[in-house]
Amino acid sequence: MKIWTTEHIFSHPWETVVQAVWQKYPNPMNPAVVGVDVVDRRVTKGVLKTHRLISTKWGLPSSVTKVLGADRMFYASEHSVVDPVKKSMILMSKNITFCKEVSIVEKMTYSPHPSKEDCTIVKQKAEVTIHGIPLSSYLEGFITGKISVNSSKGKQGMEWVITKINKDVQELTSKTVKSMDDLVHLSGEPLTNFSFRK
Amino acid sequence: MVVINMNSIGEECNKLKHEYDTCFNKWFAEKFLKGESNDECVSLFKKYQDCVKKAIEAQKIDLWELEKDVLGTEQEQKPNPKKRSDGKT
Repeated sequence: MKIWTTEHIFSHPWETVVQAVWQKYPNPMNPAVVGVDVVDRRVTKGVLKTHRLISTKWGLPSSVTKVLGADRMFYASEHSVVDPVKKSMILMSKNITFCKEVSIVEKMTYSPHPSKEDCTIVKQKAEVTIHGIPLSSYLEGFITGKISVNSSKGKQGMEWVITKINKDVQELTSKTVKSMDDLVHLSGEPLTNFSFRK
Repeated sequence: MVVINMNSIGEECNKLKHEYDTCFNKWFAEKFLKGESNDECVSLFKKYQDCVKKAIEAQKIDLWELEKDVLGTEQEQKPNPKKRSDGKT
């Protein structure tokens, strides 16, 4: 078995980062992920529990896919828990494809940084076990190497999504401000004279 | 605002998925994270979920289920693969 761990800090509040987790795909840094489906989702005692199926293409070269007829698909099952009061998001995924030969279990936790304001710390752990086929140590090292590369791309993908989310929020705020300005201009009254219905 | 949506495993479920995802992302940000846990997207989810389950069955994918609902608790343990009807995993 090979274990790989990493930690990363996002310079964004926890609430923004966990939104980005749901909207992570598609992004230009992780083109291999071709499908994300929510199999089950429910809120239990204020906590959101989700089960997702992630579909990834192997990215085989075209010379191989021509022979096979298509690229091969890799499926993983992911369970997650979001607690908005504790500000905690935990995800655990396991491969479905090749699960008899290879076990790839990944766990990620997102929490507010303990000392840096408006920052989020993400901890990632992967356990890779190969059984029943030769060169197990070599393959375990190879897979954890791939996980490491994908993890870096994943962080870049998250930053890309967060930028998109913040831009959408900014655009919406600008539109609202402009609408308010237009309203004040048309009426000739200062904003403080308006009362809003509750 | 340009929205690029992720696809479903079943192409026939894409429209239902996009409608549900739009509802969920809005609810999650504006309600759930602020403490309102009443899921407003339940009916959209049901339609989407029915479609996805059929697509998963059609593609013969064996979903892994956590044996105990312990993720995030002190009893969290490494999940085991789902046992098949012949007793093998």
